[in-house]
Amino acid sequence: MNDDFRKWWAVPAIIVPAAIPAPAFAVQYLTLEQAQQALFPEASQFGSQPVRLTPEQTRFVEKYARVRMRGTEQPVWRVEAAGRHVGWFVLDEVYGKHEFITYAVALDASGAVKGVEILDYRETHGGEVRRPEWRAQFTGKRYGASLQLGEEIKNISGATLSCKHISEGVRRVLALHQAALK
Amino acid sequence: MIDVRRARPLLGTLVEIAIHDDLPPATAESVICRAFAAVARVHALMSYHDPQSELSCLNRGAFSEAIAVSDETWQVLTAARQLSEASGGLFDITIAPALADAGFLPQHAGESRASADGAWRDVRLLPGQRVRFAREVRLDLGGIAKGFAVDQAIATLQEAGVVSGEVNAGGDLRVLGRPAHRVYLRHPGQPTSLLPVMSHHAAAATSAGYFQHRHHDGRAYCPIVHAGTHTLCDARRSVTVFADQCLIADGLTKILYADPERGSSLLERFRARAVILEPDNHSGDCRVFDSAV
Repeated sequence: MNDDFRKWWAVPAIIVPAAIPAPAFAVQYLTLEQAQQALFPEASQFGSQPVRLTPEQTRFVEKYARVRMRGTEQPVWRVEAAGRHVGWFVLDEVYGKHEFITYAVALDASGAVKGVEILDYRETHGGEVRRPEWRAQFTGKRYGASLQLGEEIKNISGATLSCKHISEGVRRVLALHQAALK
Repeated sequence: MIDVRRARPLLGTLVEIAIHDDLPPATAESVICRAFAAVARVHALMSYHDPQSELSCLNRGAFSEAIAVSDETWQVLTAARQLSEASGGLFDITIAPALADAGFLPQHAGESRASADGAWRDVRLLPGQRVRFAREVRLDLGGIAKGFAVDQAIATLQEAGVVSGEVNAGGDLRVLGRPAHRVYLRHPGQPTSLLPVMSHHAAAATSAGYFQHRHHDGRAYCPIVHAGTHTLCDARRSVTVFADQCLIADGLTKILYADPERGSSLLERFRARAVILEPDNHSGDCRVFDSAV
């Protein structure tokens, strides 16, 4: 701890009580259909073709991707444009300590990553339910005036998870393609 | 009025770009794609992890010869120098070896040992956008490249005539077209709890250890190196800086994190504001220090 900090800003502008109530943060960027359209604008057909891995394939994926497979079934769509197979659309989810992300990976016909789009981002509920005394403290003040119930939260400053989970997820999707879609 | 919002994994984090405007949705989508491309370009040029990046080329070769760099890398190196000069070296892009030693950055195979007494002054910015190292230093632009990428994405929106929008790269953000807006800060001890703060600056950046700290000798450290002592900073505090440009906000958070007193003396000069959150481990309360109060 830096003591200069104490000297310079000895008095906090405000003290926020321990349990800050916060609504769970969640945002939907794309629906499934929108994500398919965004990643394969040229496509004429998305054929649902979920992949069920055999125990042997699961072992292959876990070894190649160096991550654990949670479920055995992966939602996958075979993508066609003008009657020709142009790639795969794979829907996947990752969990962090505080967050839950749904995203889609587009693979071209050769299995190379063509794009990644986030569909949903959700953070788990951090605090308790809203406490009136906390809300009163901020009413009319510069700190947010008030945090409305159901208010749309945007612009959070301060990192979310690192992209590590998504990178691992994409690696798993590539291994899955190798094991079951080639 | 449409509201198009997209997120992609870039710069080692989630990058979100939104447009609120009267544009046709297809136009908004294509502008957002171009803004993501601008972010991806910054990533490709300035990634420490990618051996093919322009930054890695500098780290390998700029000690033996002067190397010409892109406009973007030049802008970032120039801004880094300004921050280093203004802070008396508290901001220093040559701290990569200390971060690599602590496990926050990879050790590249076959790289030579960096000079122990190298510092920001050893990065010479020469005519013709050329860069030469006076000592064998190694650069990491992680302290400002993300902020710069946000500024580049906002510039892309502006050039396309977008009136209102925002870009958020893992918590480094900038809005377009709103003189006052609300920014949510994370409680450093409880990061899914949010504290709303009104901002009159377009950009905000936060440095905090809550999602990426490492433990060493029973203490938590974040990937910020105190340039004076070359030691890692304590991870308990969060520092948010509000400024007009995200690059400046991003760079100033590093200075304030390392030395709030010295850092705060720079706020006026950069027309910035800082908010520091510090949890009390005993009560769980969170103290808010605000330079604008």
